[in-house]
Amino acid sequence: MKDDNAHKNILIPEVGLRVKALESLLAEKGAIDPASLDLIIETFEKQMGPKNGAKVIAKAWMDPDYKTWLLKDGTAAIKTLGYIGVQGENMVVIENTPSVHNVVVCTLCSCYPWPTLGLPPIWFKSAPYRARVVIEPRAVLKEFGLDVPDDVEVRVWDSTAELRYLVMPMRPAGTEGFTEEQLAALVTRDSMIGTGVALAA
Amino acid sequence: MNMLTVDMVPVVLATGDPARVDEPVPAKFRKGDRVTVIELNGIGHNRLPSYIKGKTGTVTFDHGVFVFPDTSAHGKGPKPQHVYTICFTAKELWGEAGHASDRMYVDAWDDYLQPAS
Amino acid sequence: MNGIHDLGGKHGMGPVVVEANEPYFHEEWEGRMLAMMIACFAAGIYNVDRFRHPIEKMDPRHYLLSSYYEKWLCTVEQNCIDAGIVTREEVDARHQQLMKEKLQ
Repeated sequence: MKDDNAHKNILIPEVGLRVKALESLLAEKGAIDPASLDLIIETFEKQMGPKNGAKVIAKAWMDPDYKTWLLKDGTAAIKTLGYIGVQGENMVVIENTPSVHNVVVCTLCSCYPWPTLGLPPIWFKSAPYRARVVIEPRAVLKEFGLDVPDDVEVRVWDSTAELRYLVMPMRPAGTEGFTEEQLAALVTRDSMIGTGVALAA
Repeated sequence: MNMLTVDMVPVVLATGDPARVDEPVPAKFRKGDRVTVIELNGIGHNRLPSYIKGKTGTVTFDHGVFVFPDTSAHGKGPKPQHVYTICFTAKELWGEAGHASDRMYVDAWDDYLQPAS
Repeated sequence: MNGIHDLGGKHGMGPVVVEANEPYFHEEWEGRMLAMMIACFAAGIYNVDRFRHPIEKMDPRHYLLSSYYEKWLCTVEQNCIDAGIVTREEVDARHQQLMKEKLQ
């Protein structure tokens, strides 16, 4: 590559201040309203998170008709719970079974269902996961503590378009009689990405 | 420019960017069709990961009509078309490095696909 | 484009590093960047496809080394410049000014 010294200046210095610079300029020019930024941040921090997805999964575990609907038309079924929105406009729910384990990635960037799972963790957006989970999913799942037997099919879903994928983990044993709330508490974020399973009862 | 105001924030977050297009564009493929991914090597924007180029898989689902990123990113309009989920075996994609039981499911637009020969 | 972002199947990337109980934003500016991205999208400055492409065109070294929201800054800034809302010089100048003020 041309400039051997370029590596010293690759990252933006004081990047936070450049963000501030851009925000202040855009505000001065009437392109953005900083108060709306405040509300967006607050909404993400308070309202968008995996607790939403957990409610969807718990309802499906409790209600066979809802589960059937959810697997057939994720968008419509999730919309009734209010979790359709930005980066979650078109939802597909995929079910883990004793013979199939699903795991989701966006190899090209970081696509992730925000309304049901919140903002993705850094590992989901980083090179190692994006590069490796499509070519060696079992090794990656093992790093997450999941040992998938050879006779179980691993399905890797690459979110290349505007469909957003949500994994329905298997319902843990010994949860008969649990309330929806108790079930939701067992559904972890990683179990809805596919890098984990639901917690034991 | 339509500056986003505080009162509009909830609606914007609840609506997002519906890439789905309500137009009766005919689908080129159906569930069950065997398709081969084209060799797309232009320098513009696309959502075709290199690891599926030239590979053959099966259409598992037709999601309907969506905006086409390759044109939309460059001011050339939505060119709405069908998006499908294509299932590839790991062996097809990775040869011997692929596990016999594994499958990769990748979403692709009509323009990325041709019938398998 | 066959850019650096097209990572599926690449070898040599190392282990998946997980931070337990990771917050959404490690610094305040990351939250501002997320919100600014959404506000600019809502204002019609770009659609999701025009948002993604400049990230794909980043210097590959910058892409691999930078944090996630630094990538968002690059594309939102580029899109605002392309839309004629700001110039690179204006952003550079304001950035310089803020850096100078911080040292005082």
